[in-house]
Amino acid sequence: MTTPKINFKEIKDWTIDNFFGSKLGILLTLFSTILIVYFITAIFSFLSAAEWEVVSINKRLLLLGRLPEEDTWRAWPIFWLFCFIFCSSIGAWGNPKKRELLLLLLAFLMPTAIFFSMTYIVHIFMTIIIGSVSYLGSKIIRKTTYSRVLKKSLISLWILLIPLAFSILIIGGGPQSNLWGGFLLNILLASVAVVAGFPLGILMAVGRSTKLPVIKTTCTVYIETVRGAPLVAWLLLAWFVLPKFLPNLFGLNEISVVIRAMIVLSFFASAYIAEVIRGGLQSIPSGQLEAADALNLGYVDKMRIIVLPQAIRVVIPAIVSQFIGLFKDTSLVFILALTDLLQVGRIIPEQDPKFFGKQIEALLVVASLFWVVSVVLSNLSSRIEKNLGIGTR
Amino acid sequence: MKKKIGKEIISAENVVKKFGDFAALKGVTAKIFEKEVVVVLGPSGSGKSTFIRTINRLEPHNSGKIVVDGVEINDDVKNLQKVRSNVGMVFQQFNLFPHLSVLRNITLAPQKVKGLSRAEANDVAMSLLERVGIPEQAEKFPSQLSGGQQQRVAIARALAMQPKIMLFDEPTSALDPEMIKEVLEVMTELAESGMTMICVTHEMGFARSVADRFLFFDEGLIVEEGTPEHFFKNPKEERTKLFLSQIL
Repeated sequence: MTTPKINFKEIKDWTIDNFFGSKLGILLTLFSTILIVYFITAIFSFLSAAEWEVVSINKRLLLLGRLPEEDTWRAWPIFWLFCFIFCSSIGAWGNPKKRELLLLLLAFLMPTAIFFSMTYIVHIFMTIIIGSVSYLGSKIIRKTTYSRVLKKSLISLWILLIPLAFSILIIGGGPQSNLWGGFLLNILLASVAVVAGFPLGILMAVGRSTKLPVIKTTCTVYIETVRGAPLVAWLLLAWFVLPKFLPNLFGLNEISVVIRAMIVLSFFASAYIAEVIRGGLQSIPSGQLEAADALNLGYVDKMRIIVLPQAIRVVIPAIVSQFIGLFKDTSLVFILALTDLLQVGRIIPEQDPKFFGKQIEALLVVASLFWVVSVVLSNLSSRIEKNLGIGTR
Repeated sequence: MKKKIGKEIISAENVVKKFGDFAALKGVTAKIFEKEVVVVLGPSGSGKSTFIRTINRLEPHNSGKIVVDGVEINDDVKNLQKVRSNVGMVFQQFNLFPHLSVLRNITLAPQKVKGLSRAEANDVAMSLLERVGIPEQAEKFPSQLSGGQQQRVAIARALAMQPKIMLFDEPTSALDPEMIKEVLEVMTELAESGMTMICVTHEMGFARSVADRFLFFDEGLIVEEGTPEHFFKNPKEERTKLFLSQIL
């Protein structure tokens, strides 16, 4: 094999063809060069002047909000538990490519780099061990006969994750729930909304697609009402109005603001997911329903085994997109006087005179945290799509 | 090879089916007997598909009376379930469930409807796949099979419910020519085993050798009926002659 020689004439021709081929081309080249140079200098001048102390001092606030210092330890078991289930699942189901593992590593390293602190070096070390051991472990178990057991127990662990996280936050006289905050709060709110909103959304979508007039109308009214008002309005309603409507039993009318936010977000998510899934339901060819009818399958089996799996598969990208949107919408709970990540990022530069004017640094870190989770989610969705692609028509 | 034809199993009286203002069936009366193989012929839009789809109520009829194995088809869900458990159907577009394996396509209904255990259903499915000649494809997904193989899976899926009657709605029309034969062979075997069959098909060779009786549809009515010999030698109606001259 001969190494190809660099052909300068070719490079010159290519450059001229692509950048200076016509009058319009020259104009566009000039214009975009100016833009790129401008932005690069702006970014560099910002980075050279940026001081990240505002972030490094307020690490705990950003991640946990007003959670009292003596309760900080509660965050770690939750994180480890998540890490364990997440990494085991990758080992059990996924065949991650190197590129994807690299992305995951980056997604893990970036927040670690921002929030690194010597106090927690042991904890971070633990995380890495738990992550890699559970990944490798489940990869090995997957090849044995226990593969089914592993997958089943992982699924139940995913379902149990939220109740477990709550109990870790509560046991032994945990802090009041309205002190939960920071990124932890965003993640908790979003997970509850997804886990509760998704099944409810499926029910609403199926309900709206039936021919039974009462169910159809109920579901339609529900969906259109919930979608008809802004999320902020629903959150405010939950704050002011909900206590008045709930009966004064078992302290129902005093439920914490966090729980109310979770309820509102779940309902809100379900309405949007319902419409997405209804779109999927309409994409199922009528022949599938006829075949199920001809086989005498009951309505529930027909929906559960034939229609919904196919319908949901079609709309996975749209559903994940809803989840990502919902995740970022959780930052609206600042309206209920909760301190989520964005709210912390907004407040911290104002609390100390020496941080005045350091909003950009704080907000950049906030944005990057949201970004990491969103990117991991969207990668996960394309992964699931590919895995489910086996039986497509 | 003439087999014994049994008692009446389907009776349709004056069946009318309307789609909006358009009447697809304008009063069809027919009787089908046990172990009989009936081929339904007719130009497109003549109502032949609609007719066989009224027999398991994929299309509810507007008036008239359909009785299948002593059970009348009406709004009563219990009746409908009885009828559907006795009637299997094979579609032009196969309508296999694309997200389930071939085996699961076949075992699904026996497990969910008849309450067979997984092992029992698997045994039934494998013996049916043997019968249609593709036991080695059991673990594949429908999209990995050829059209002819898919249609044979669809036949096995319908047979798994042990129906007394099989309906075929143009089972070979969506197939490439070289695959038609393998499906017709399965259907011929099924006919010889004594299954009651109603087939909408344009495969005249198959129809001639297997059918006991032809029903000729035009414009929502049965225009002429009789044995294959009658149809090929001296059809009475002009429309039948015209149709036969076009497809033969």
